[in-house]
Amino acid sequence: MFNVSRKQLVTAAAVLLLVPSMGWGAGFAIFENGARSAAMGGAFTAVADDPSAMFWNPAGMAFQTDKGMQLMAGVSLIAPTQDFRGQAVYPGDGYTASQKSQIFYPPHLFFLMPLNERWTLGFGASAPFGLGTWWEDDYAGRFISKRTNIQSFDNAFNVAWRATDWAAFSAGVDYLTFQLDLTNNIGFVNPYTQQLVDVGQVHLMTDGLKNSAFGWNVGALFKLGAGFSAGIAYRSTFDVKIDDAYGSFIQFPSGYPDFDAVLASRIPFGQKVSGKSSIELPDVLSLGLAWTGETWTVAVQYNWQGWSSFQTLDIEFIDYPHLNQSIEEGYENSNTYRIGAEHRFNEKVAIQLGWVYDETPQPRFSMSPLLGDSDRREYNIGMSYTAGKMRFDVGYTYLMAARRATDGTSVDGYDGEYRDTVANIFNMTFSYQF
Amino acid sequence: MKKVLALAVAAVVLATVPAAAVDFTTYVALGDSLTAGFSSGGLAQPFQEGSYPALLARQAGTPVFEQPLVEYPGIPPVLILLQLHPGPVLVPASETPGRPLNAEYPYPYNNLGVPGADLYDLLFTTGDIYNLLAGNYDNVMHDLILRNGEHTALEQAIGLDPTFLTLWIGNNDVLGAAVYATPIDGVTMTPAANFEQMYNTVAAALAEHTNADMVFINLPDVTAIPFITTLKPYIELPDGTHVPLIGSKGLLPEDAYVTLGAASLLAQGIGIPVELGGTGIPLPEDLQITAEGAIPGVVLRQDEAAVINGRVAAFNDIIAAAADAVGAKVFDVNAFFNEVASGELWSVGGLEIGTAYMVGGLFSYDGVHPQKIGYGVIAAELIDFINEAFDLRHYGGEITNVNMYEIMTGSAEDQPIPTPLTTADIQRLFTREAFQTLQQVFVPRLENYHRTPRQGGRVAPELGVKPKANVLR
Repeated sequence: MFNVSRKQLVTAAAVLLLVPSMGWGAGFAIFENGARSAAMGGAFTAVADDPSAMFWNPAGMAFQTDKGMQLMAGVSLIAPTQDFRGQAVYPGDGYTASQKSQIFYPPHLFFLMPLNERWTLGFGASAPFGLGTWWEDDYAGRFISKRTNIQSFDNAFNVAWRATDWAAFSAGVDYLTFQLDLTNNIGFVNPYTQQLVDVGQVHLMTDGLKNSAFGWNVGALFKLGAGFSAGIAYRSTFDVKIDDAYGSFIQFPSGYPDFDAVLASRIPFGQKVSGKSSIELPDVLSLGLAWTGETWTVAVQYNWQGWSSFQTLDIEFIDYPHLNQSIEEGYENSNTYRIGAEHRFNEKVAIQLGWVYDETPQPRFSMSPLLGDSDRREYNIGMSYTAGKMRFDVGYTYLMAARRATDGTSVDGYDGEYRDTVANIFNMTFSYQF
Repeated sequence: MKKVLALAVAAVVLATVPAAAVDFTTYVALGDSLTAGFSSGGLAQPFQEGSYPALLARQAGTPVFEQPLVEYPGIPPVLILLQLHPGPVLVPASETPGRPLNAEYPYPYNNLGVPGADLYDLLFTTGDIYNLLAGNYDNVMHDLILRNGEHTALEQAIGLDPTFLTLWIGNNDVLGAAVYATPIDGVTMTPAANFEQMYNTVAAALAEHTNADMVFINLPDVTAIPFITTLKPYIELPDGTHVPLIGSKGLLPEDAYVTLGAASLLAQGIGIPVELGGTGIPLPEDLQITAEGAIPGVVLRQDEAAVINGRVAAFNDIIAAAADAVGAKVFDVNAFFNEVASGELWSVGGLEIGTAYMVGGLFSYDGVHPQKIGYGVIAAELIDFINEAFDLRHYGGEITNVNMYEIMTGSAEDQPIPTPLTTADIQRLFTREAFQTLQQVFVPRLENYHRTPRQGGRVAPELGVKPKANVLR
């Protein structure tokens, strides 16, 4: 059994303490958790040979005990763009809007601590779900959403056990924290001008990352011989109860004081109104197959996401039930297909390539300014450089989503085509073996 | 292989069969105030430009669609809102009506919607623009729109040789009963038999003398409009209890309708019990004919509302049968308004539009006619219907629907600038005079109901309206 020194314990504690103070966010499901595994298109469940196994298949940790204690930390820089072209009747044919430029930087951090040559503990912090949309000012969808930021953080604790030379298993608990931040304008027909006017704004948010849910995960990795390996991993749903949300209402004067007064009697402007919500985040199943030779690794993977858990986003204002919102989402379970490869030129330098086809779980009718999603393709490339106990991984992902239009089905009455959806993603990860 | 080839040929042939697209080159809209784009008690350019026929014509790419535009503030001057709270203060935008802007257009207008017109008028009434220009307002809307003193709206429509036509007539054959809160057959409502005879005459004439694809629009229930639904038949006390208003036939039951015509009476304490600070004088429930003229009633009890809606249903059956007989499609605006009035709000872009008075977004200040957004919604629903009914998505030529965001937000020049009013004007609270002016325009003159249709009607072509005939003498 390894001796766990005081210094190592302090390091482990520091890692855990550091987690909540980091900033992050982006795309509703995020798979960029490790530059090398991302560069292989995330086809890593059957590979799982570095600390990012914590994200893809923790059973893989049990085959890494010979590397000692390992720390991996990194960040992805995600720069998405998306345009919108309107359809009738609202906002109308020919209308265009674009999202503002944003960069999200979800971090990842994994720490592996072997207990002996068969047992390993793992701590991980990753951002499995996130969403950030921010549309240009005064665009026509502002009464649905101006800016949305959903953030989550999965703090996982896992134990992996190598039962035989060819089979390892893992189990773990996940503690997911969740934050919601939605802003939209409030519109009314001004009885004086008989035209639409912005009378205020509502900003709905949760108080930091206090909302949480527990989940669990299991994994298995089998070395099948002749370089082949197979992996399976499952992470449960997270049933997040959001009890500390609050809505902050701001009034925009219309220039007609009595109209403003009538509105103020209905909408709690200038107040923070407590609210609540809940969301069930999907479970994920990964099945992977890989072949590793002397200089090459090739892997394929299938992911299933149980998005049908996400049917409505209900927001309840306890003292103002007439302001309650129920956003129909109607998501469906979805599939993702991944192919990845790595070529090792020597002990120091390796390159990775990957391809991903990611089906959207979002039905056409619930595409909205909050999220206008469609099937995505990813093209990935990366490079690793190892120097003694250190390894640097860098990678680039070009993500493109197909054009997709609501074609008159929009549940919000906001019809149009979401197009030119592209994300440039840069991943950087640093690993160290103690 | 032969079979494959045959199938391929068949596919090519099918693909090249001429599309059954609808020709919108010459679109004519027949109807009443709802077709004219009448809003907030007046016919004025900013609203006419947003009338449902104008929007349909624009979206369908109709090259010429002329309307009898009237300079703002309109004929009669439209109402403007001076105060919303604690009670709405509505006054005419000006003492002076607007001038006709398009009176010299040498052909019949494409929009032949005549405010106040009922089915009889469509068949028999003419108008003379020189009468109006001489300052006579006795037949103002027909004078303004039909102009030549010779030809009825139906004849002028036929004369334009339309390729597409909408017909939304009959609202004023029943609306008088609601606005006067008194259903009297042959006086405030057209008898169903007369309606049937006249409607069939119109439908047959249009079918015989034009090649137009036609949409007939049926009639909404009167209980879907804020003029009827806004005021409650009781006063609610702070503790939530209801004290019924007093009507000329007794205390009003909870399910009675009090029309907006009662607003100024209630403001004077009429209909309100003495113990609540009112006069105790009952609200006039039914129409009274006096030496000075007709005084409208302001209360519709359930049985009266049922009679009126029953008449609407009978008319709608007649419209459906007539359409069926001549191959016209029926746009069921009745179902649409009932849906919205029952709380199924029309929602777009995260906004909801409903029938509530002042704040709902659909209706204008007169509580009967839509405002710009309301006409936009009607156009949107109508275009959807046309695309569906004529299968335009399949055959091509699908009409791109209206842009509601543009209609809802408008532009700076759409905003009429109210003429400054005197303090005395401002003091008037939704005045009775303002309502009487309105009633003269948007409901038929009472004397009209003494008319019965002449056998066979007066229908082109015996009157010989030539296509594109010059309507000006």
